[in-house]
Amino acid sequence: MDSILLSALVFSPIVGILVLLFVPKAEKAAIKGVGFLATLLPLALAFIVYFGFDNTKETLQFIEQHKWINFNLQSLQNGGDFTVSYELGVNGLTVLLLLLTALVSTLAAAASVWIKDQTKGYFMLFLLLEIGMLGVFASQNLLLFFIFFEITLIPTFFLIGKWGYLDKEKAAYSFLIYNGLGSAILLIVFIILYMKTGTMNYTGLSAFLSQSPEMLERMYIGDNFRLGLLIALLVALGVKLPIVPLHSWMLQVHVQAPPSIVMIHSGILLKIGAYGLYQFGLGFFPGEFEKIAFWIALLGVINLLYGAFIAFVQIDFKKVLAYSSVSHMGIVLIGLGSLTDAGVQGAMFQIISHGLISALLFFLIGLMYQRTGTSLITHLGGISRVMPITAGFLLAGGLASLGLPGMSGFVSEFMTFLGLFKVMPALAAIGTLGIILTAVYMLRAVLTITFGETIEPLTTIKEARFVEWIPALVLTLLIVLIGVYPAVLSDMLQLTINAMMAGRGAVV
Amino acid sequence: MNPIIWLIPVLPLLSFVLLLLFGRRVKEASAVVGSLLTLGSLILSVVVFMGQWGGASVKQTVEWLAIGDTVLTVGYEINPLNALMLVIVSFVSFLIQVYSKGYMHDDDRFPVFFAYLGLFTFAMLGLVISPNLLQLYIFWELVGVGSFLLIGYYFYKSEAREAAKKAFIMTRIGDVGLFIGMILLFWQVGSFELDAIFDAVTTGDISQGWITLTAILIFVGAIGKSGQFPLHTWLPDAMEGPTPVSALIHAATMVAAGVYLVAAMFPLFEASEAALTTVAVVGGFTAIFAATIGLAQADIKRVLAYSTVSQLGYMMLALGSSGYVAGIFHLTTHAFFKALLFLAAGSVIHAVHTQNIHEMGGLWKKMKWTAPLFLIGAMAISGVPLLSGFFSKDEILAATYADGRFGLFWIAVIATFLTAFYMFRLFFLVFTGESQGKVKKVQESPGVMVFPMVVLGILAVIAGYINTPVAPILDDYLAQNSYLEIHHHESYWWIPIVATVVSLFGIFMAWLVYAKKKVKRLSEASPDFHFILLNKYFIDETYDYSFVKGTRGFSYFWYYIDRFVVEGVIQLVTGAVGWISKISSKAHNGQVQLYGSVAFAGMAVLLLIVAWLGGYLT
Repeated sequence: MDSILLSALVFSPIVGILVLLFVPKAEKAAIKGVGFLATLLPLALAFIVYFGFDNTKETLQFIEQHKWINFNLQSLQNGGDFTVSYELGVNGLTVLLLLLTALVSTLAAAASVWIKDQTKGYFMLFLLLEIGMLGVFASQNLLLFFIFFEITLIPTFFLIGKWGYLDKEKAAYSFLIYNGLGSAILLIVFIILYMKTGTMNYTGLSAFLSQSPEMLERMYIGDNFRLGLLIALLVALGVKLPIVPLHSWMLQVHVQAPPSIVMIHSGILLKIGAYGLYQFGLGFFPGEFEKIAFWIALLGVINLLYGAFIAFVQIDFKKVLAYSSVSHMGIVLIGLGSLTDAGVQGAMFQIISHGLISALLFFLIGLMYQRTGTSLITHLGGISRVMPITAGFLLAGGLASLGLPGMSGFVSEFMTFLGLFKVMPALAAIGTLGIILTAVYMLRAVLTITFGETIEPLTTIKEARFVEWIPALVLTLLIVLIGVYPAVLSDMLQLTINAMMAGRGAVV
Repeated sequence: MNPIIWLIPVLPLLSFVLLLLFGRRVKEASAVVGSLLTLGSLILSVVVFMGQWGGASVKQTVEWLAIGDTVLTVGYEINPLNALMLVIVSFVSFLIQVYSKGYMHDDDRFPVFFAYLGLFTFAMLGLVISPNLLQLYIFWELVGVGSFLLIGYYFYKSEAREAAKKAFIMTRIGDVGLFIGMILLFWQVGSFELDAIFDAVTTGDISQGWITLTAILIFVGAIGKSGQFPLHTWLPDAMEGPTPVSALIHAATMVAAGVYLVAAMFPLFEASEAALTTVAVVGGFTAIFAATIGLAQADIKRVLAYSTVSQLGYMMLALGSSGYVAGIFHLTTHAFFKALLFLAAGSVIHAVHTQNIHEMGGLWKKMKWTAPLFLIGAMAISGVPLLSGFFSKDEILAATYADGRFGLFWIAVIATFLTAFYMFRLFFLVFTGESQGKVKKVQESPGVMVFPMVVLGILAVIAGYINTPVAPILDDYLAQNSYLEIHHHESYWWIPIVATVVSLFGIFMAWLVYAKKKVKRLSEASPDFHFILLNKYFIDETYDYSFVKGTRGFSYFWYYIDRFVVEGVIQLVTGAVGWISKISSKAHNGQVQLYGSVAFAGMAVLLLIVAWLGGYLT
């Protein structure tokens, strides 16, 4: 049975783009309205997918498969027909990622009311970006993944370079060069895989690569070759995640891009790196992944501590959060590197949890910047008195970020460390230093902004209106929901992760 | 699920949510909402407590999170120990809310205050009924947040901000110990459930080394929360919070959570002599260390704060000396008399608007209720015979002696002298003599503040009778726990006498120095030593110069590496791309000769590669 639900979901933002084509440039309010409403359609469809997904089955669901490209290469050893299909499908993890994408997009579209110039172009690119992100998670095939992946790059480049802050062009170019290099490596890996195996389908590739080492050796896909591919993947996706020292570009993006785009960037785009590592790294090369698991976990701990230490001395709140993202993505690496059920599940939780938390915090930055014209923590002292509710949300976001129990960050942190302590207790013990440091830098930043005597020029600032809190409220409620009742995610993830970990002699 | 039990923590949570949402509208009525809901918890707690006399433990759990084949649960467990804690917590919390109605009446964020109190009470009650370590850890952290929010309640004061931050971070350092200990235990036992852990300890499924390691790690958590040395520095600073908060959180309940944790995990600690010794030594050292600092402080709340640190040290000393009942007993009596002392101090501050004891004096006649109640509290904590502190402190001394820890025993005796001395120093300076400085019109606090003090005053007198040598009721009650073996040591007739003489001597000395002024004060007798005590042995400064500055320096080091080395690479990469594009754009100069030579060169390279690969391109 073929449903077209996923295709509809992925391409639904096109509706908005088409409508926007016919709205005159000068009608800014109408453009913003259409832009926002257009994101509700994918959100509704994502909910339909979410509720339609049967989490008692571990197979892919809502599968779509159509023959797409067919060519014949007689000269190659493997010879014969090559077919690339258009393949979509979802598992428990990608359903959640699709929902997260649609949700954060809607909230970011709401935060886009602060965009002042050329709103038409902005929203068209924004919706194109959403197509790319949804496509990345719905794809079941490397070529399709790659195309959607590239679709995310181009709008992001323009959205940063055109609508960002002072140094926006430089940030956009860094973004493009780093991600371009990453994509190039990714493409090479994908093509090699295709040439060697003749398939681009995820399931097909996993099955092909799980043959006995001798068989693979005979097909010139030996142990070292596979290890090489995995390391290439790690570099390519490590740019995206980002893994220290490949992170410089994303600091600039965090600082220079408009808050609404950073919500998307930090909330979703970084997660593509994590998702790719899980889906391709762990999915295609489980044996090799195990060999370098320690190094991945070590990179994770380095990310965690490196980001945390540097975040401690930043004076721009955006930079604090940028380094905090570096630090929190370390948790994903730690979880994957532990190769335990708990760790991998923790990593998946962290992907979603960090998506919500960073979206919340950057939304609040946008809210404050709108009123104060600054994001320097030294220029924002004592806003609790003038903006008590915004300050309350900021405190909640900060506490969520530092892993307070009862909020989503704790669950992921707890599970990843639970996993890592099982296999590498010494490394894990060093990593727990990050738990303290996160509290140190987060409280320093958040309390300097909210507590204390209100700084002079801020005393006349008006509190945000109720409609402006709604995105913050939605995100906070979700963060608390996951923190209090994590089964809401784990029910979806269980079978997917079990399937991935099955036969790997996985421990809890 | 028994609604009587789970409603106990849920009612205060309800108060938190309601007041957060509607507090602005109901304003003054917030106090009524908060108090009534807490009263509900108190009544239910008492019902549960009654059921524990001779009743069996109750445990109920539901699934919380599945990881692979492991299912983690949440729920509640009621046993003699935590039923007692439920009553103490909800009782003190209720009284404090009543008191706060008067104390906080002209504060413009009145509803927020009661909302936070609700959150704290919820977390504390949830902590107490936790059947497993994970849930305990969750509430443990939430309690910390409640404390953090209330310390920072006067958020516009930068001292309050720093104190709140410090409290959160210092306790979190301890929490990480608990976090690691909990996870390591999980991998040894395969469960977070307390009974499963105790079973594993009893059957010897965990090796001695693991027991010691995990017990000490868990104790690190207790050190942070209960303000034990070396993580004690946050507690005195926490006095930046409103005084009712100091009474509830930083005297009676939350700081006692560390003691509760050790008691709740006692079967684990009991299985390791090294862990017990660690607890006893840290406790004993903290008891005397904090007491000496208390001698020199000038802020009434800070004296009480150091006194709390010191008394918590006593409780730890008791537990470390296998004096399980003694530790819990002192926790109970201390909750009453220390809450009383704080409330009385709050009443004084409310009246004179200063916290500096050298600016007070002569308040005995002006505060007809507060003064005698403070005296009762001071006598109880000093161990004046027949008041509550007398019995519980004797229990601790006896347990320490019976356990053969003679060095710690004498340290505890000396600390008893110091306790009596600094408490009565406070009493004489505040309530006797002439009024100092600017203090002019002094009014007794309103009835809504006096009433809770009277109730606590009565308890400070009589609470000791729940466990006298003649009628050890608490002993028998707590002994119902099946995992515990309560040690009944012989009673030493001379210990109460020595303790009484020592504490009366302390009171007498304080009287000589501060009332009669016959003996020089410490600041005159030994200014250097006084200076060291006044500055709290310079521990804050030491931490500041080592850890805080060290971290900052380390951070800057990496920040500059990041900016110049890592960022340098980005410049290199972008530069290289630009360079290549420049070179290749130069090649497009329209000269056929160049194109031809490039084409030939490329061809040559390709041919070389093919030749090298043996004729195949793959």
